[in-house]
Amino acid sequence: MKSYKDLPSDAGSNIIGQVAAQSTRVQKRLASVKHTVAIMSGKGGVGKSSLTANLATALTLKGNTVGVVDADINGPTLAKMMGVRNATLEYSQTGVKPATTALGTKLISMDLLLAEDDAPVIWNAHTQKDAFTWRSTMEVSALREFIADTEWGELDYLLLDLPPGTDRLPNLAELVPDLGGVVVVTIPSEVSQLIVKKSVTMAKDILKIPIIGVVENMAFYICQHCGEEEPLFSAEESLNGAFQQAILGSIPFDPRLARASDNGTLYLDEYPDVPASKALIGVAEKIQAFFQGDTK
Amino acid sequence: MKFLCTDCDTAMKFKDVTRPEQGSVTALFECPDCFTEIAMFLNPSETQMLKSLDLKLGGNNEAAQPMQMIRSQLETAKTEPVSVEATTNSGETAEGGKCPFTSVISDAFQEESTPTPEPTGPVWTPEALERLERIPSFVRPMAKMGIESFAKDNGHDEITGEVMDAARGNFPAQF
Repeated sequence: MKSYKDLPSDAGSNIIGQVAAQSTRVQKRLASVKHTVAIMSGKGGVGKSSLTANLATALTLKGNTVGVVDADINGPTLAKMMGVRNATLEYSQTGVKPATTALGTKLISMDLLLAEDDAPVIWNAHTQKDAFTWRSTMEVSALREFIADTEWGELDYLLLDLPPGTDRLPNLAELVPDLGGVVVVTIPSEVSQLIVKKSVTMAKDILKIPIIGVVENMAFYICQHCGEEEPLFSAEESLNGAFQQAILGSIPFDPRLARASDNGTLYLDEYPDVPASKALIGVAEKIQAFFQGDTK
Repeated sequence: MKFLCTDCDTAMKFKDVTRPEQGSVTALFECPDCFTEIAMFLNPSETQMLKSLDLKLGGNNEAAQPMQMIRSQLETAKTEPVSVEATTNSGETAEGGKCPFTSVISDAFQEESTPTPEPTGPVWTPEALERLERIPSFVRPMAKMGIESFAKDNGHDEITGEVMDAARGNFPAQF
């Protein structure tokens, strides 16, 4: 009797061909993107999305064409932070036109597809019972469609803001095998550094994805009255000691940045000369420098 | 997956696939030599996994539409009109709806929109189903599960309007 290997195909479904076609669709779309950058942490609440929004603005202000994928399918925040929450997506046979900020930064986010403010992401299914068996797969497929089916056009940078969890980067790496690099975000707390170190190991040692560097968010607080720097967290180990990676910058906590995120206004445009803005611009410059010489 | 006709020692070929019934898809395979047919039943989880991967049994010869998986499977999606004209298989222009391509994609996975009872759960009366439809779509699945759970816990084989009234206190959504 014949065995599995003896049979020429899967009876006509061509599942492998269908998966390959999906992958080809991603590659074709990314052919016009020079650099893909994942913003990750592993730890929640360190300000990845806020940093992503501001880095996208900083890179745009420096003359780059920039797109952003809000890869947090279940907790999308970037449409609000970037002030495009009311944008209507336009569909055509060739793709979906992303939301565009006043500066021209492009964004795709699940928030732009949801019906109501309080509507969670619920997938059509015969039953939601045992949804844990397929929900993650659905989310990866949604991320694939975000990347492949958005009409990005020619981009210098496509930033992908990953949700918490060290498992997110491997999922993205499956979709984007030639990911340009990873920006790792942490805060100066030992708890954060503990988790973020795992993400660094995942990226560098297991997935062999270049790490552009580490950003220390909410690094300190500057008193608005006396200008003195005060720590917000209690990590004793310095960033250089904790991570053997390039340090891209330390962003001070600024309540105006949080307010700008809530209001969907451009912090860098409103407060270009404050320390946090300067630090964010510095991080953007280091990202640019990282890719200098890459002529793709 | 591959299928072998053990009588002929020949690879079977895909023949047909049915729309899901209570979440289960049936795929038919046929031996090209003796024409014996077999049916493969996918349970709801297996069917859902295929949907999640946006894969089609029997192959996919249609061009992929932008974000077709999200737009056809996201239950809590916006229902605003889309900005492009699209045509259905029958050639009619789609008017509004969350995805103009829903009718031409993953056909085999589209179930009737009317909720169907769980295979082993209490039976829904038409009146109760009508009331279930009035619950906002994004909380409907959870409400449905909750009502069924309430019915089972309280020994009801049938979900009527009265049972829903009794269960209402347990849920934030009104129905």
